[in-house]
Order: sequence, then structure tokens, then C-alpha cells
Amino acid sequence: MTTAFLFTALFAAMIAGIPVALALGLASATTILFFSSDTLSSVALKFFSAASDHYTLLAIPFFILSSAFLSTGGVAQRLITFANNSVGHIRGGLAMASVLACMLFAAVSGSSPATVAAIGSLVISGMVQAGYPEKFAAGAIANAGTLGILIPPSIVMLVYSAATEVSAAKMFMAGLIPGIVMGCILMLAIYIYARIKRLPALPFPGFTALFGSGLRASGGLMLIVIVLGAIYGGVASPTEAAAVSAVYAFLVSALVYRDIGPLKGVPWRRDGESVAGAIGRNTGRMLLAVPASFWHREMKDTVLEGAKTSIMLLFIIANAMLFAHVLTTERIPHHIAEAIVSWGLPAWGFLIVVNVLLLVAGNFMEPSAILLIMAPILFPIATRLGVDPIHLGIIMVVNMEIGMITPPVGLNLFVTAGITKRSLGWAVSAALPWLGLLLLFLILITYVPEVSLILPQLLS
Amino acid sequence: MTVIRLLNRVEEGIISLLLVALTLLVFVEVVMRFGFGMAIDWAEEGSLLLAGWFVLFGASHGIKTGSHIGVDFVVRAMPSRVRRAVSALAVLACLFYTGMLLLGSWEYLDKVYRIGLPMEDVPLPTWLAQSVLLIGFAMIGIRLLILLWQIVTGQADSFPFSDEAEGSMERLEQEQAAHGGGE
Repeated sequence: MTTAFLFTALFAAMIAGIPVALALGLASATTILFFSSDTLSSVALKFFSAASDHYTLLAIPFFILSSAFLSTGGVAQRLITFANNSVGHIRGGLAMASVLACMLFAAVSGSSPATVAAIGSLVISGMVQAGYPEKFAAGAIANAGTLGILIPPSIVMLVYSAATEVSAAKMFMAGLIPGIVMGCILMLAIYIYARIKRLPALPFPGFTALFGSGLRASGGLMLIVIVLGAIYGGVASPTEAAAVSAVYAFLVSALVYRDIGPLKGVPWRRDGESVAGAIGRNTGRMLLAVPASFWHREMKDTVLEGAKTSIMLLFIIANAMLFAHVLTTERIPHHIAEAIVSWGLPAWGFLIVVNVLLLVAGNFMEPSAILLIMAPILFPIATRLGVDPIHLGIIMVVNMEIGMITPPVGLNLFVTAGITKRSLGWAVSAALPWLGLLLLFLILITYVPEVSLILPQLLS
Repeated sequence: MTVIRLLNRVEEGIISLLLVALTLLVFVEVVMRFGFGMAIDWAEEGSLLLAGWFVLFGASHGIKTGSHIGVDFVVRAMPSRVRRAVSALAVLACLFYTGMLLLGSWEYLDKVYRIGLPMEDVPLPTWLAQSVLLIGFAMIGIRLLILLWQIVTGQADSFPFSDEAEGSMERLEQEQAAHGGGE
């Protein structure tokens, strides 16, 4: 009865267009009011501790902020040049370089739609000029962009660890190899296609150019090194690494790359300027630029954008904790687990059910919202059946990736349609052939847990 | 109108400032601990408290700007009159939730105020440190009432939604415009 009420209220509220956060809170609070003896003041206390008791969750606003600083066209362009110089000389190299650029940008930005928008808008037209079919180019980018939530640092993984208390650091370790494997699968597919269709290769630019472009891209790439190095080395928690990366991202974008902020367009060295003069001028301006950023319009907008996205996610999480609290006190996951175990469903059968459930849900809802609703239910069942919690997390994330390129709520499809100025239907058919690859990848991830688990086991 | 615009700017300023303060607090704590071997003992509780303020204070702003995500394709498919009726009911339901939480927050804060409970590390009484519960939900309530008024008078017909895909596109267009039509 309670279960039925909770879920009916939740789905009715969401269908009526109530934002997911309020829908979760509304369903949980009314369930508590009608069916439990908890007082309203205990609900309020629960809510406050949900919003402010999880140190891991602080990593979310920090990563969003650092992504807001580094998701600029300038960073994307530098990563693309670097990727072109490193793999462009292979047949189909331009497309492979685009996938590589997506992987790198995904790691820096942690967001899938942002990756498709930033990289796609720059490379798709380039690929078309080089003789690639536009559909092929758009499909490759839409798919490679989904890696944003699999390659660490990933916000969706932080949400999973918030919902299940699995260590975020371990999730970040587990996502790396699957992310690289998926990137390689995409590049291999492109290589085979390019061989068959005799697509062009770029000339190799030489090691000097490769090194130079690597150096110019290193401002963005260093962020990945700092964050993953600190977490994998066990030096810092994800939250601490994220705070450092947010400050680092601000310094790189405002002072080094000068893509946004008060120093935008100020050259490092003017024509005919002496080295000493340039050093003096830059030092002075950079020192002034840090306080000036607090009043700079573009900087303020960037921070506010990051704040809005963070609040949206954290507010869902706070309400979802209330939801999870109701689930646990009513022992709902426990009952479902009992039922499933009594059917004698083996772990592999359960994982098929999980995949189907998530793929369907992924067509209608945002990744973080799905994770927050499903993880507290699936997690105890999986534990009962002996599925590793980290493995379950990676399976869920890969399912969410697929949800990003399937209609009607495939965010990457909207962005792809937007940047190519084509219809949504065209974007769907462009992404479709690649969907098969992602599904194969999902099967691989689901039934070969070692792909996800080997790195966390090695490092701990 | 200018008063409202000023209030909006103050609200946005406070939200941004809370995020910046939160980031800098954790950053400085990390630097002090790794660089100088000094731990700031109130930093963890302080940053969690700031996070609570950040989320609860900022939540209502998202109702106005539509940054709270939701499932909107069902509502969008409805004819306009039905959509307005459903949305009005939805807002009333949210107001009910807000009312419950406001009442609960009041009871809870009143309790800790009377006990005189202080926070563990931050030198503040708990009722003051957590008063954002009341402030935040009151602000959400106000935003919901405004939305209800807009729906009743026909200025709005559902919760506003701005999806992430559109956001990414807008940002891109702004950037291209700034670069003089892209490179």
C-alpha cells in the first residue's frame, strides 16, 4: 500500500510536469505524513542533513564550476589540434581525432551535451570538407560525446556514490578502462569504415608540431592529470581534488588561455616587446586580473551558470535522499529483493532486467534523476545476488550513456541536431548505426566485470 | 520594477558568492593541510554548512529560471487549457509540500533554539546556522505563488523548463557571436 502510494505519487507528479526534485520530495513527504509516525520536524532535519551531510557531494559543484571555466571553444580547439596531430595521419584520422578530442574534452568537462556542442561544432564541418559523409561525422560525435559521463571525473558517478555510499574514488578508478575501451571501439569502427570507403588521411605534421600542440593543450590536459593523479594515488579525496581543479580551471582559463575574463584578448607578448617588458606587463596584469574577475561580467555569468546547474543537481539529491529514506524505512528494496531471490533469478538474469529497465527509463529521464531513483532500489538487490556495487555503478552509467542518444530525451541528439542545423529525426538516424556498438559495449561491460573492476582492485 | 531587478541581482550575487566561498574554503583547507601541515578544524563542518545554504537559498531561483529539470513532454503534448489546469494543480501540490517543510522547519528550529544547541566546530547556534531551511522554503513558496498567479492569469502555462541541450547550444552561439561568427 505504502509502496504503491509512494510510486504513484512520484510518477503522477512527474507526468504533471513538476520538476523531478520537487516530485521526489512531494511523494516522500506525503508518504511520511500519511503512513508513518515521523514528525514534520524530523523530515525537516532529514532534509537539511541530506543537503549538507555528504562531503563527497561537494565535489559536484566544484567539478561543474571547473567545467564551466574550461568548456570554452578555445580549450576545445586546442584539444582538437592536439588530437589531429597525434592520430590524424591514420586513415580516417580526422574522425578518429575527433573521437579522441571528445574523450579528452569529456574528461575535462564531465558533461556529455557540452562535449558534443564544443567539439562537434568545430569538427563536423571540417570532416565534411575533407570528404566524410555528414551523417557519419555527426553520428560519431554524438556517440563519442556520451563518454563524458563514463570517463572520470564524472558527475553522474558522484551522484551514484551519493545514492549508494560506494566510494567515489573507486568509481572514478573503475570508469577509466571502460571509457578508454569504448573510445578505442569507436576509433576501430571508424578505421574499418575508412578502409572500406577509402577515406583520406592527414599528413603527419612531425614531432615538433605534435609536441607544440600538446604543450598548448596541456593547460586543459593537466586538469585530468591533477584530478586523476590525486585520486588514484590516494593523495586526496574527490572533493579535495575537485576544489583544486575548480581553482586551477579558473586560473588557466582567465590567466593562461585568456578565453574569458578581464584578460580576454590580451596577448602574452606584443610585437617588438622585450622579454623583460612582457614579463613585467603580464605579471602586473595577471595580479590585477584575479580581483577584477569578481566584477567581470563574463566571469560572473560563468559562475552563476555553474551555480544554477549545481543547485539543480544538489536539490534533486537532497530530495532523493528523503525518497531513499522512505524506501529504507518501508523496507521496499528488501521486499523486492526477497521476491526476486525467491524467483530464483540468477545474477546474470537480474542484470538483463536492470539493463532493460534502465534503457527504457533512459529514454524519458535525465541520467542523474534515474540514478537517484533506481540506485537505492537496485543496489540492495544486487548486493544480495553478489553483484559488485562498483560494477553495478558502471553498468548504470553505460546505460545512461545509451539513453543520451535515444529519443525522446536524448540530450546529445538535440545538440547534434542543433549544431548541424538538421532535424531531430536526421540526428537519430545518424546516431543509430553507432548505437549497435554501444549496445555491444554494454553487453561487454555487463558480463565481463573485470573491465571495470581491475583498476580499483589494483590500486587499493 | 527596479526594486525587483535589484532583488534579483542581489539574489544571484549571493548564490554566486556562496559557491565561490565554498570552493575557496575547501581549496584553502587543502592547501593549508598539504602545504603547511595545518588543518583548519572547522573547515569540514563550515563547508558542509555553506553547501546547505547554497542549495537551499538557491533552489527557489531555479523555479523562476526553469533550471530544475523535469519530464515535460507529456505536459507539452496537452492542449493549452488542460495544460494550464494540470499545471495549476501541480503548483498547488508543490505548495502543499513546501508548507509541510516550512512547518517542519519551524518546529525543528524552534526546538534547537530552546535547547540552545551549538554547532560542533563552527561557533554558531544550530538554529541560526540551519535557519536557511526556513528561508529557503519560504523563498520556494513565494516563487511557487508567483508561478501560480502567472498560470491563473494566463502568463504561463506550466513549470518553466530550460533543457541542458538548449543551454549548451545557447552558450555556443554566444561564443561564436563573440568571436565574430566562429573561426
